[in-house]
Amino acid sequence: MAETLKLLQFGDSVFPVGAFSFSNGLEMAVEHGVVHDRTTLQDYVRTVTRLAATGDGVAVLAGHRAARAGDLERIRQADQAVHLRKINEETRTMSVRMGRKLAEAATRIVGETLLKKRIDESANGVPVTYPVALGVVFADLGVDEQDAFAAHQYGAASTVLSAAIRLMPVDHLDAQSILFAVNERVADDYHEVRTASLDDMQTFGPHADVLAAAHQHVHVRMFMS
Amino acid sequence: MITLDSARELAPYQDQPAQLPAAANGKVGILRLGFERRGDRTILHDLYRQSPLLVQRALYWDEEMPQLPCVMILTTSGGILQGDRLHLDVTLAAGSQAHLTTQAATKIQEMDANYGTQVQRFTLGEDAYLEFLPEPTIPYRASRFVTDSRVRLPESATMLYGEVLQPGRKYYRDGELFAYDLFSCSLRAERPDGRQLFVEKFVVTPRQFGVARVGVMDRFHIFGNVVLLTSPERAARVFDRTSTPVWDEQTPLASAVSRLPNDAGLIFKVLGQETEPVRAAVRAFCVAAREEVTGRTFPPAFSWR
Repeated sequence: MAETLKLLQFGDSVFPVGAFSFSNGLEMAVEHGVVHDRTTLQDYVRTVTRLAATGDGVAVLAGHRAARAGDLERIRQADQAVHLRKINEETRTMSVRMGRKLAEAATRIVGETLLKKRIDESANGVPVTYPVALGVVFADLGVDEQDAFAAHQYGAASTVLSAAIRLMPVDHLDAQSILFAVNERVADDYHEVRTASLDDMQTFGPHADVLAAAHQHVHVRMFMS
Repeated sequence: MITLDSARELAPYQDQPAQLPAAANGKVGILRLGFERRGDRTILHDLYRQSPLLVQRALYWDEEMPQLPCVMILTTSGGILQGDRLHLDVTLAAGSQAHLTTQAATKIQEMDANYGTQVQRFTLGEDAYLEFLPEPTIPYRASRFVTDSRVRLPESATMLYGEVLQPGRKYYRDGELFAYDLFSCSLRAERPDGRQLFVEKFVVTPRQFGVARVGVMDRFHIFGNVVLLTSPERAARVFDRTSTPVWDEQTPLASAVSRLPNDAGLIFKVLGQETEPVRAAVRAFCVAAREEVTGRTFPPAFSWR
């Protein structure tokens, strides 16, 4: 029960890492009418979670495994691998900002952890990134890697959905139904990426990439991505 | 020699072709190109080639940059066949410049066993300038292809790397859209001291996860991807000229530029339904890049290309 409670707390969408200020590209997709109803929103959320699984999801597992081994160097390598692959500025900012916030929050709440050591040495080197930090935190808390992966996927979907409620005509029940449906894919995604290494991290979402790169040029926007 | 055979995404395709075995004689294409400065111009001083890859000689056809060797890469087998293993190794000495392209579209032929791979290595010296702008890539039905490219360059050097990916033979018979098995592409850049700059890797497996969906390709078919690796000052000038995103519902066309991590440069992505608007957008970005980096523009495109 103790691990479940930790999973619920640190995987909660209100955990203060600032997820509420990002839309994972949805704001631009809504502006261009690409996402405009329940069906297109669900498709978009599923694309986001798929890209999250084959990209950052691999880094969650790498961070978790490195933390279990107590290997700070491997954690740093995972952070570097994530940072090198954030080719869009806004997603790079999001990953680094949420990573730092998670590391600071975990240090305050849990105390001395590997993440504390990692953030201390990151000052003039490789930044802490969110997916790796999440894996490390859950390993420290005794939550297993499947659940850490699940929390990451849940977070990717709920970030988009909480933005959707503010950006388009969908209500909380629509959002929860979509979340429920998309969560059905998490186990299969885990099964597929669990043997992937950091070098295997990949994403193919040119449409999302173009929307993300265009977003920074919009003058009036609610979200940082 | 580096091989990609152990790539994770190739695990399902390790069977042997009924024809020549994979990586047999005649299936391993090698191209080694070395450029260096001689007086005002750059020459192709080192050339090693092994079929099915072929380069004949450098030509100086660029009227805006008459000192620029232009090299056309040919394939003697009409594209990439199952079991092909291609290697391209390009070195530019300090202060040299080169333009590389292909003679025709890279056609990744239909496959029923095994796969094709391509390893590309680019090494640039101080102040070197390389344009690598091959014709579009067309992955045919059931093709499997993995390409791995690495660029090593100092901050003073520039590489312009542009690719256009087609969905297949769009107008062949009933149309062939994303009917391939696997298209895997990775590009990484690093400094001469080994410091990593960025990595982009995508693996497209249309039967495992749909391509024609929101966030992936949506309603678009053609994907142009251009990477400009150069100094931060030059990148900033190119960014100023090209950063306004395009969202054109009519054509349709969508494009945007982003700054790469670690001050590596810029990445330009463009999506369209037809090849020509995408090529035009890629070309416009390349013109801005060449002008800001070299002070010269591109001559008009050949009317037959």
